[in-house]
Amino acid sequence: MSAVRVAGLSGGYGPGRQALRDVTFAAGPGRVVGVLGPNGGGKPTLFRALLGELPVRRGEVALAGAPAYVPQTERARLDFPVSALDVALMGAYGRTPWYRRLGRRERDAARAALARVGLAAVSDETFGALSGGQRQRILLARALVQDAPVLLLDEPLSGVDGASAAGIERVFGELRDEGRTLLVATHDVHQAARFDLVLCLHGRQVGFGRPGETLTPEVLRATYGAELIVLEGGGTAVGVGHHAH
Amino acid sequence: MQRALAEVLLLAVPAGVLGSWIVLRRLAFFAHAVGTVTFPGLVVAGPWGIAPQLTALAAALGFGAAQERLGRGGRLAPDAATGLLLVAALAVGVVLASDVYESGAGVDSLLFGTLIGLRASDLWFTAAVAAGALALDAALRRSWLAAGFEPASARSLGLRTARSDRLLLVGIAAAAVVALSAVGALLVAVILVVPAATVRLVCTRLAPLQLGATALAAAEGVIALWWADRLNVGPGPAMAVLGGAVFAAVALWTARAGGEVPA
Repeated sequence: MSAVRVAGLSGGYGPGRQALRDVTFAAGPGRVVGVLGPNGGGKPTLFRALLGELPVRRGEVALAGAPAYVPQTERARLDFPVSALDVALMGAYGRTPWYRRLGRRERDAARAALARVGLAAVSDETFGALSGGQRQRILLARALVQDAPVLLLDEPLSGVDGASAAGIERVFGELRDEGRTLLVATHDVHQAARFDLVLCLHGRQVGFGRPGETLTPEVLRATYGAELIVLEGGGTAVGVGHHAH
Repeated sequence: MQRALAEVLLLAVPAGVLGSWIVLRRLAFFAHAVGTVTFPGLVVAGPWGIAPQLTALAAALGFGAAQERLGRGGRLAPDAATGLLLVAALAVGVVLASDVYESGAGVDSLLFGTLIGLRASDLWFTAAVAAGALALDAALRRSWLAAGFEPASARSLGLRTARSDRLLLVGIAAAAVVALSAVGALLVAVILVVPAATVRLVCTRLAPLQLGATALAAAEGVIALWWADRLNVGPGPAMAVLGGAVFAAVALWTARAGGEVPA
């Protein structure tokens, strides 16, 4: 049974605009899927379709449950008067009626999530005062509190320090072991090669499957086009050009 | 004077509670504009024999609806739409006022406020808006916080932010309407923005920000009333001068203390 199933998906931001077309893939529980693509390749469009925010013009999207979304830390406002704990607690908003206060159970869950990403010590610190890597881990902690079967992560490892990257990848492994499905948008082909599956997008689906079989020079060339650099010695390829949405 | 005192103390509640959201959600221009667009409504209230709060509220809500309509589809930036409607409302108000008022004194009180002649019903209306502000904040603060902090995730967090954001604008419009008697159509920001912006300079958490802004709005309101009475000036300009001076002093102090002033 698939936790994420997309069949013949096409969609866009306005009438006549099709940012993504002909996407078909499926991932079962406990799978980490790297979503590769250049700027404008359709990664955010796919995520928005999975979140139900984009009208699906054609095709089907089926998820095992409401997904959690982890944005890039640059998307969050650093001047907002919220602590790391406040941000993690947002993960409990959806299951707490407006008339009920966030109680001990929610706070314990938020603290546990912060501890899981290695940030228990900074739970009372202001979010905007923390480093980029710490902020990214806090946004991941918020998704952990949501306890969702599917997590959509938008370049969670871009621009973060080594310790944070290691911490995030460790949590990915734990989530996989728990049977959750992760879709990780990334520009880093090396990173995607370590995941269970890769989905290559360039306005349409270019390839999908196990990294060893899918990340061929032809697929990477079709995915990245001019943004591709092929390194000598082993034919390894990497995508370049960090994008800002 | 007692009624005036009660009025400014009641106004401190929406000023602190909603004012904090105005500052955090970057709605200061909207708050200023929604006050200003009530001007034509205030002008016609007397001749038509309608409570000024009702005509002002109708003008404010009409402004909100027009702004949304103009901004739909991204053809006009929200601040451009706000500016356009603000200027239009002011122009219409001035044209109407030239027919209604023989001297400029009546127009001055509409633009800059007067607490002379406050009725008990005015106080009840302000109290209702203060209670409404507290209720809205209690019900929607999670949505306002999450949407302001990072809007892209709001839906996945289970929040419907479009509706709650619209209610925030309605709450601000209602707060602007009840602030008109004290500060007039042109100085609504003095009470709904300045105290919260001042406390924001030194506050890094939401609850202390709202409490501090409420306390500062109350203190500034009371002092401005006393000052206005002594100097025979309108309460609005007195609050504007006092609020501006306090903001400048706090900004200077935080800058000299080496603290970063939050954006």
